[in-house]
Formats: sequence, structure tokens, C-alpha cells
Amino acid sequence: MEAGKGSADLEQEVLGQSLCTSCGACVNICPYIKVVRDRVAVIEPCGLTEGKCYDFCPRTPTDIAALDKSVFGKTRSDFSLGPYISIEMAQAKDSEIRCRAQYGGVISALMKYALDAGEIKNAVLTRPFDGAMMPASVVVEESRQLEECAGSNYVSSATLARMNEATRQGKNSIGLVGIPCQVMALRKMQASRHDTGAKGVKLVIGLFCTWALSYKGFSEFLKKKVDLSQVRRIDIPPPPANVMVVETTAGDIRLSLDEVRKFIKPTCSVCYDMTSEFADVSVGMVEGVEDWNTFIVRTPAGENFIDKAKKAGVINTKPLEETRLEHLKQASSIKKKRAVDAIQKRTNDKKNLLYLRLSAQEKKKFL
Amino acid sequence: MGTLELDKPGKTVLMMGDEAIARGAIEAGVDFCASYPGTPATEVPESLARVSEHFGIYAEWSTNEIVAFEAATAASLAGLRALVAMKQNGVNVCADFLMTVNLAGINGGLVLVAGDDPSAISSSNEQDSRSYARYADLPLLEPADFQEAKDMTKWAFELSEKLGLPCILRSVTRLSHSRGNVKLGVLPEKTRKAKFEGVYISGAFAAAQHAALHQKLEQAREEFETSPFNFYVGPKKAKFVIVTSGTGWLYSREAVAALGLEAKVGILKIGTTWPLPEKFIVDHLKNVAEILIAEEVDPFLEQNIKILLAEQAKTLGPIEVYGSKSGHRPAYGEMNQDKVVQALASIRGLQLKARDEKYIEQAKELALTYIPPRMPTFCTGCPHRASLWAIKSALKLDGRDGFVTGDIGCYAIGAGPAGYFQIKTIHCMGGGIGLANGFGKLDRFAFNQPVIAVCGDSTFYHAAIPALINAQVHNSNVLMVVLDNGGTAMTGFQPHPGSGFDALGRSAPTVEIENICRGIGVEVRVRDPFEISQAVQELYDMLQEDGPRVMVFRRRCFRIEAKEKLQKKYYVDQTRCIGDDCGCARFCSRVFNCPGIIWDQEAQKAKIDEVVCTGCGVCATLCPGGAIKVRGAAS
Repeated sequence: MEAGKGSADLEQEVLGQSLCTSCGACVNICPYIKVVRDRVAVIEPCGLTEGKCYDFCPRTPTDIAALDKSVFGKTRSDFSLGPYISIEMAQAKDSEIRCRAQYGGVISALMKYALDAGEIKNAVLTRPFDGAMMPASVVVEESRQLEECAGSNYVSSATLARMNEATRQGKNSIGLVGIPCQVMALRKMQASRHDTGAKGVKLVIGLFCTWALSYKGFSEFLKKKVDLSQVRRIDIPPPPANVMVVETTAGDIRLSLDEVRKFIKPTCSVCYDMTSEFADVSVGMVEGVEDWNTFIVRTPAGENFIDKAKKAGVINTKPLEETRLEHLKQASSIKKKRAVDAIQKRTNDKKNLLYLRLSAQEKKKFL
Repeated sequence: MGTLELDKPGKTVLMMGDEAIARGAIEAGVDFCASYPGTPATEVPESLARVSEHFGIYAEWSTNEIVAFEAATAASLAGLRALVAMKQNGVNVCADFLMTVNLAGINGGLVLVAGDDPSAISSSNEQDSRSYARYADLPLLEPADFQEAKDMTKWAFELSEKLGLPCILRSVTRLSHSRGNVKLGVLPEKTRKAKFEGVYISGAFAAAQHAALHQKLEQAREEFETSPFNFYVGPKKAKFVIVTSGTGWLYSREAVAALGLEAKVGILKIGTTWPLPEKFIVDHLKNVAEILIAEEVDPFLEQNIKILLAEQAKTLGPIEVYGSKSGHRPAYGEMNQDKVVQALASIRGLQLKARDEKYIEQAKELALTYIPPRMPTFCTGCPHRASLWAIKSALKLDGRDGFVTGDIGCYAIGAGPAGYFQIKTIHCMGGGIGLANGFGKLDRFAFNQPVIAVCGDSTFYHAAIPALINAQVHNSNVLMVVLDNGGTAMTGFQPHPGSGFDALGRSAPTVEIENICRGIGVEVRVRDPFEISQAVQELYDMLQEDGPRVMVFRRRCFRIEAKEKLQKKYYVDQTRCIGDDCGCARFCSRVFNCPGIIWDQEAQKAKIDEVVCTGCGVCATLCPGGAIKVRGAAS
């Protein structure tokens, strides 16, 4: 970690460069930085030259190998997917959960089990619709509240801001569901020399993510086509459809993905992580298989938890076929390669990788 | 019973200038008083309202000055005596009516008290309202002391009635707001009944009316020639005379005495400054070689005297005139003794300095050893602090370099550190939303900055509504934020149409701001600025919309609230205070900057100043350490 920078630097290097992922790590740790919807701003410079905000941000210098060591106790050998113990396919046993969920319902099932079994006391996750298309991050203490959190999001909410608020109120034993940038920031918080409530997060479930949309741009675009309060669910069916389906009370609207992609956050183009490489467990879709999730167990803590969940009969698993695994690795590698290219284009300097601090081996693979 | 009601003719009492004006009106038998509050004239109508029941006077705080003037004129047209008082800016608001009522004429005595604020101590501009008298061809009186303030006001009613013209009485802050001896006159018996007769139309015969107006002014001049408010003191054959009006009179007397020039310098004091008592002045300037004009702000007297001297050149011969043109008196800022002393000394080649040049600096330095330096700021508990923090946050989150157009009210200091430098324009009442209207139509010229117009509740009723209608009709991209603190706070919390009580404190119907907005068709939301994160979120959302929108931040002024109920006592739990460290960096005492929070040097933690804290609790919601707590509450 490179210390010695503060909110003014965060504003200049991240917010000012449209690199903010709105993960929320810098929000609710001081009164100076605020988030509304997916907009983060330093309202007033705090005047300090060093700050947690800069240290925690997933877009300030991040040494991948050092973070590997802090999370996994060792550096990675797989450069496309990051450290992992096992990769399988999984689905929730409960068909009701599967029904509500977008794919296999694994996350809902695991969080429900974690809360019910007392593995965690609080779940921090995202409710897809909080009116007008904006998802809301929520803290859930009882598993029945999880129902409304099922489904995918295409706009990201500041989950870590909500987590910071919860830990400030003294909440611990937290299970968190987040996208890769959020998971990375959370791990930076946990590894930080600063004392933070993030150490109270016991279980991290990471989502696969290729990009997120900017709320302002996308909602204004969508507003012209539909009353946002009527939107019920948004889905992107697997290729080659190349569409986004917006389910509304007045029927479905199909949007060309090419049109939607215009609203992808600029920061997503420099993202190096598709599969939430620093999570305890990563979950994503399986291309071409509707009812199942790809399921990556990464840490011993994650493995321990999953073993219990399996024993409790919460999820079904089956092996991920070799071709699918290869396909996943390829997709992840392409994202990394694109990110590095985009960064080099931005900096106009082959050696300046912005926030990314890569090992020599990794550089060799992706540069 | 106060001095205003005292029925003891000949008794000398101590009175504030504005009270003396009110007493003069009472002695003239005033029946009707309508006004809009404004420093330094506020205490005239306030005094009359206080004794309105006693003397059978109708008193109201009107929606704005022109409405007040028109209402007062109605009483005059019905044969009553009426007074309207306002600050300098209010005269501008009245100007349209003023320039027609002068032609159409009036019936019962009608006096317009113009309170000028030299040096703009409590104003958005510095303005000399005397030019309005010359512009509108109306008689102008300038009281020079407290006794004159009373006596001139009484006489102004008689003069007005005699001429069939409104009479302008000009006071200034130093006279209106200080106190002096006043010998009381007789309280009249009031017998007038209101009855309207006749025709008062300006326009159809305007040119003829204008000619008649000039004749009335000549009649006024004749009255002025023998007025006891014009007099001369000093040696019989002085070669050097100070010509002065208003506060300049007492300053000149002191200056002459300070320089020991009583035997050489005379003072010609003019109380009726428009039209000038020409014969009286010419009589006193025969054989005079030099004159110094001592007046406050514009060279009004100076220019008119110069014209007179030119006209009378044959009679008077050459006279050297010293004043603002010659550089002996600044034509701005408050007048004082020193300025007259300085002028006299430099003209007469005297060595005496009015005051050591370093005096002011030394005095300031000395004062700072007793008083901690403090920037102008909002009171503790002021809702404007929270509102402006919410505005700053929303604009910063929006990120399009948005800005705030300001208006007239306490919140105007939001242009400085108290309001985090958010307000970028301030002009007249209603000017903020008017400007925002125009900014909101610049999108076709690649303008994409969001504009927030802030406006006080009283200002909303006073001057903002036409601009808001304009914004609606032209679909201007403007977000108006009404800072509704429940009254006309800056001038002493006089009621306005939304307050629910009248000038006498009796219950009155209300006109709600949000109903006006809805009537216009503008989207309106009402929120409490103390619920600060919701306020930020909603403002941010509203900034993303186009067209006109109104957010009413409603929270009563804490000065009033604090008087009404016992407030919670807050304290800082210093064990939880983050202080200088990352995560806070003295947010409450350094950035949010409420005077109720101080920095405890010894502990290096924040501390509540319980003497000034009003217990609003906003800082407690913003404190990142949860260190600001209510005394006695369960932790």
C-alpha cells in the first residue's frame, strides 16, 4: 500500500478522473465525503494530507500480490481467476429461492443459511429496486428480509458506505455481498493500518461483474422510454441476444445492448477483476445454463462455510465442465487485458498502470 | 405606559429617533400606518403598532413597500392621515407609485419616511433617497436631531395636507437608532372619519398635472422660507459658512467647537432641503466668501446650492464651494465629526488632526485582546447553516459547477464562510430568482451549470412571485430554495403572510408558500433542513430535473424557538471525539463552524459552548464519532 495521501488526492486522482466506482469505502468514515445515488463527492477538503479514504479506495494504488498475501496468505498461481480452492457449478436446493433469483439462487440460499445458522448476524447486500431504478444497499438481520434482495443489478450502489454506517453503529459479524471493486476495497480496509469496522466482516461473497451503468445517464435514457416506477426487473439474456430486457408493469421493453453500453461507468473500463478475486466465495452465471451458478471457493474460511452449507443441504453442486472453466478463464483474461490496454491509453505511458501494481509475472501475461 | 403614550406636554423624555418620528405622527393624529420592515426605519411602524390600540391607529406589516404605500395612500384619499416607513431600498420599490401619486395628488396628510443607511451597515446598497424628492417634485424634510424628528414629522402631515402632496421625511441610521431628548407636544383629539370623494387619476392630464405639481412645489418653497427648521448660528459677518443638513448639523457644531472657530465660522442649517428655501439661503450667504457643504452621502445639497449660487451670481458674487466635488468630503459612507474637522482643518490650513491616523488600528488591536475574532456568521441553531450545507453538498455531488443566486435576508451572509461561500450573486429583493430565470434559459448557448436561487420566506411574498411565474411560463431550468424560517427574521421577526399573526400579534389568516407554488403550477417539496442527509438527497435529485422547481426548507428561526421552549442541552463526550484525526479533522468547530461549538485547546477535543448553544442538534447528526450527545439522555 502507498500511504501518505488524503482526500484532496482522492478527489484529484480518482473522482476527478471519473475513476470512482462508487463502492462507498470512503463514505461514512468522515463528514467530508458523501454519496447520493451513485455519485460520490468530497464536499469540502478536510485538510489532512493522509487519510483512510485514499487508502481504502479500489482505484488508488493497489498491489495485487500484497493483497493476495493479506487475504490468502500467499500469492496467486492462476493469473486469470485469482486464488481459489475449488470451482464448481451450484444452485439453491429450494426451488422457491431459485424462482425469485436471476440464476441459480446460490447467494440467496447461502445468505439465508448464514443468518439462520448464526454464522453471521448481519448481512450487507443490495436490494435491486429502491424506486426509480436505483438499487439500495441494506443491512439485513433476519433471513426473511432477503427475499427482496434477490436479482441482478446493473447500477451499483455504495454498499461499503452502508457497511461503514453499520460498523459505526457497532454492528459486527457481518456477511457482505459485493461486486469486485467493493470486495477489493473491503479487503484493503481489512488490511489497513487504520482501525476500521471492516474487520467485523466475517464472510465475503463476491459477484462476477463485467460492468455497471452510471445511474444518471442510464436512468435519464430509460426515463424517455418508461415510467421508472413501473420497472420490476432487468435482465440481460445470454449471448447472442445482445439485448437488455426491462420488465415493467406495462410489459417488457427490449433495449439494444449497444445502446445501453454507452452508459457504462468510465471506471469499469480499467477494472482488472471480473470474478471478485478477493472474496471468500465468488458467484456468477454459467453461460448457457439458466438454473445454475458458477461457484468459486477461494479462502479456507469460505471453504469451511460452504462445507457446512452443503451438509445442511442448502445448495446442490456439480462439477464445472473443463470447456466452461476454460471459457471463464478466457473471459476473465480478456477483461484484464482490456483494462491494462485502457489504462495505458489513459496514461499514454506503458509503465504507468494507474492504480494497478502488478507482479512481474502478471505484467508479462497481460501487458 | 411608555413615552409614546405619555400625555404630558412640555415634558422632556429620552427617545430613539424612530420613536420620535412615531411620536410626531401621533401628535399629528395619524390614523393609518402600513410598512414593510427594513433597517433603519423598522422601529417607526413598530412603535406605532405598539400603541395602535391606545390611539385608534390601524397598523399593518404589508407584503412589500409599494403595497404599504398604496394602502397608506388609500387612507389619505379617504381623508385620513397616514404614514408609511421604509428603508432606502423600499423607496425604490415604491418608485412607480411615487411617480404617479405626485401627479394625481392626495387628500389627508401622507408622510413617507425614508430610512437611509449610510455605509450600508445593514443594507445591500448605499443610497441617498433624497434625490427621489427632486425627481418626483415632492417636498423633503431632513431632521437634524431627535426633537426635529418629532416636530418635523408632525409638521410634515400639515404641509402634506396643505399642498395635497405626499411629504418625504429622510432619516439616517445614526438618527433613527440613537437616542436623545425630546420635549413632548400635545396629544390631539382624533375625530376623522374616512370618506372617499373626488377623482385621483394620473395620466390623462399628466402634462397639466405636472405643471400644477411645479406650482405646488413653489408653494412649498414659500412655506420653507420661514420654516423654523432652517436657521443660522455664528458670527454676524462670517466669511466662511458651513451649509449643512441632517446629521451634518451636530457634526458641524462639534467640529467648529473642536477647532475653536466659533468666532470665524458660521453654520447655515437647512431642514427643508427640497425645494430649497432660496431667499433664506441667499440672505445668509451675502458677503460670504467660502462655504463648506456638510451632508451625508450624495452631494444633493451641494449641487442644488451650486445651481442657486450660479443663478444668484450677480447678487452674491463668487463664492468658493467646498464639498465632495472639491474632495473635502467623501460622497459615500457615514458622516461624522472627524470628517468635518478634517475638511475644515485642510481648508483653513490648520494643523489639527481629527484623530491620530493610527487610532483605528490601535483600537482594533486593543479590542481583539478582549474579543475573540469571529467572522460574520449565522446564530447558533440557525436553519440557514444546515440549508446551505445541504446546498453545498448537493451541488458538489452534482459536479456540474452549479452555483447559487442570492437574495436579501439573513442568509445573504451565506456568500461568506458562514454559508461556505455558496452564494454568488446578491442584488435587490427578488433579484435572486429573477437572475436564475435568465440563467435557466441559457441552455441553447451551451450553459449546463445548475442554478439554485435562494430566497427567504418574507422575500418570497415581497418580490419573488412574478419571477417564479416567469420561470414557469418559460420553463426555465431553475431550482428555487425558499429558506422559510417563519418570519422576517433579519429585521426583528415581523410577521409576513405565512406567519399566522399580524402587526399587533393577533392571529391572522395565512397564505402558504407551497400553495402559491402549486397555484402557479411549479413542482414544490417541503423539507426540514435539519434532516440533512434527506435534504441533500432530495436537492440532488431535484437538480437532475429540468424546468422550474421549488424546495421549501422549513424550520423556524431558532432565536424564536429557543425563547418558546426549553431546549435540549448538548455536550461533547470527549472520549468519543475524533478531534484532529482522520475521520473528522475538527469538522464541527472548523468546517460546519457553528459558534456554539468551540475547540478545547487543553483536551484537543471539541466542546459545546453551553452559553450560546441553542440545542438544535444538527451537529450531533453530523458528528462522525457520535460524540455530541444530549445531557441526561440514555447513551
